[in-house]
Amino acid sequence: MKCFNNRRAPYKRLEPTMKIIDFCKVLILLSAFLVSAGFAQSSKVLIVNSDNAVFRYETIATEFKKVLQQNAYQWTEFNLNSHADAEAELKQLIQQENPALIYCIGTKAYSLARNYAYNKKLLFSAAINWRRLDIGEGTYGVANELSSAQEISLLRYFFPTIKNIGLLYNDKFSREYVETIKKDALALGINIINQPINDAQEISEALNELLPKIEMFWIISDPVVLSSKASVQKIFQSAQQQKKPVYAYSDVFIEQGAVLAISADLATIGRQSASLALMMDKDKVPGGTVQSPAGSTVTLNKCALDALQLGFNQDALDSVNKIVGCDK
Amino acid sequence: MKRILPVFFIFSVFITGGYWSAYSNIGSIIYFYNPETNINNFATLKTAFDTYLVNHGGYYFQPFDDRKNFEAVIREKKGDIYLLSSWHLKALQQKNVPLKIALVGTSKGNTMQRKVLSTKKDIANVAMLKNTVVAGAGSQEYIHSVLKQILGKEQEALLKDIKILIVPKDIDAIMAVGFGMATAAISAESSLDKLAMINPNQFRELHGLGFSEKDYLLVAATLKKPEQQEAQLLEVLRKMSETDAGEENLKLLGIDGWRALQ
Repeated sequence: MKCFNNRRAPYKRLEPTMKIIDFCKVLILLSAFLVSAGFAQSSKVLIVNSDNAVFRYETIATEFKKVLQQNAYQWTEFNLNSHADAEAELKQLIQQENPALIYCIGTKAYSLARNYAYNKKLLFSAAINWRRLDIGEGTYGVANELSSAQEISLLRYFFPTIKNIGLLYNDKFSREYVETIKKDALALGINIINQPINDAQEISEALNELLPKIEMFWIISDPVVLSSKASVQKIFQSAQQQKKPVYAYSDVFIEQGAVLAISADLATIGRQSASLALMMDKDKVPGGTVQSPAGSTVTLNKCALDALQLGFNQDALDSVNKIVGCDK
Repeated sequence: MKRILPVFFIFSVFITGGYWSAYSNIGSIIYFYNPETNINNFATLKTAFDTYLVNHGGYYFQPFDDRKNFEAVIREKKGDIYLLSSWHLKALQQKNVPLKIALVGTSKGNTMQRKVLSTKKDIANVAMLKNTVVAGAGSQEYIHSVLKQILGKEQEALLKDIKILIVPKDIDAIMAVGFGMATAAISAESSLDKLAMINPNQFRELHGLGFSEKDYLLVAATLKKPEQQEAQLLEVLRKMSETDAGEENLKLLGIDGWRALQ
């Protein structure tokens, strides 16, 4: 008992200080509770969609909302295409709603939201060339395209024996991207032979020089190489004449004769963005500001493969979304 | 006239018999749903399997992307053969749906697989997965269930602090860890072998934090003891790997053959 009293004596002397400390503890606990449960339940996410009539944007938005719903989050949606004076109305909505986070789908949505809510948590996806966006602190995103390392890994899954891949590019637009591709490919034992062109007129000559040295041609998203329909046709004609398969970053090239196309899965972009949003709300975002899409979509052109008598790893068929035959 | 009547009778029996036989074959459909993948390849599956099955007895294939619709078909007893994951089969059997395995899928000689929880090597234990993203291919319910099994009772509380990111296929889930979009991935063990082949550097960075119990790969099940037509359809399925076109179709499902379960 004595001992107990002795312990209490100093406590009594510090009582006013301890009360303040206890009060602070209660405050901290309360705020922690609000952040972990209550806040998350009631915090509002504003979804700004550049154009919900665009299939790509709408698919991403739908998946994003599904995940929010599963996690009992509320959201408000604002589609820029549905408002005559979208800019002013968006500004007013942001002031009225005071959302905890704004999710922007498409470049236009992001640019507007950034203007009117620069101090808010911003998240974007489906932005073309995100590296050109003005990205501040507290802004996160999911890129539009798979990283080149992802593409090369998947490409290798289908064609494990291919060692030399060629591509055309314009130095001004794609130098950095091509450097990344070369580095990523080398790490996987693939040699990228790149041929720069200044304008589309040089495509024929560049292909004549490049195609004999390579086993596969890779179409990258370069505005000079893909400047016209004729440029694209030229690539496929030359590749066909020299019996070289073409790999492309998008399935729009399958119809022209690309053997394989690998691109980002839209639904996954929506889910991944939602996952980031939930982490942002709890300030638990993993490292990195902009993530590559985590899901891929694969289209295999069996008709073109058969025409070239080109074999592929059949075990990779479990990863194919769409097989295109000669009868289409 | 006496000669014509028997000929007419035999002819009509042949015609109607053939007709009914063909008609009844139209009713024979293989129904498919797999919660262990999230890949949208239903149009390709439908075309590939229909082309094969129509030429091998006039059967059809119907893939589903929605569990409820698939289960509704089972309840209505519409189909003769159901292709589904063993996890789903067990869940249905627990609800007293009398499905019985007729064939089990094989892959490189194996009929069983287990799921792995993979992370980079700096994640030393499952407790470090709190407030992280775990990627997996399949339905949310399935990934949650596998994760729960791997974490075990001791770590089950972690589940509420883990965000599951659904991706289309196993290889996406594993690569999401390597490329930093997720902290961990749930995938089949065989998918890690694939990563070792396509990106050995990334494979070396990963390790398995936990494993699920072994389970069958895809199974072909029936609601009752197979009758003649069901037995024929099962035989067509079993022999698919004997032809190039058939084997290619099976690989779309992630298997390379079937084995009868004794």
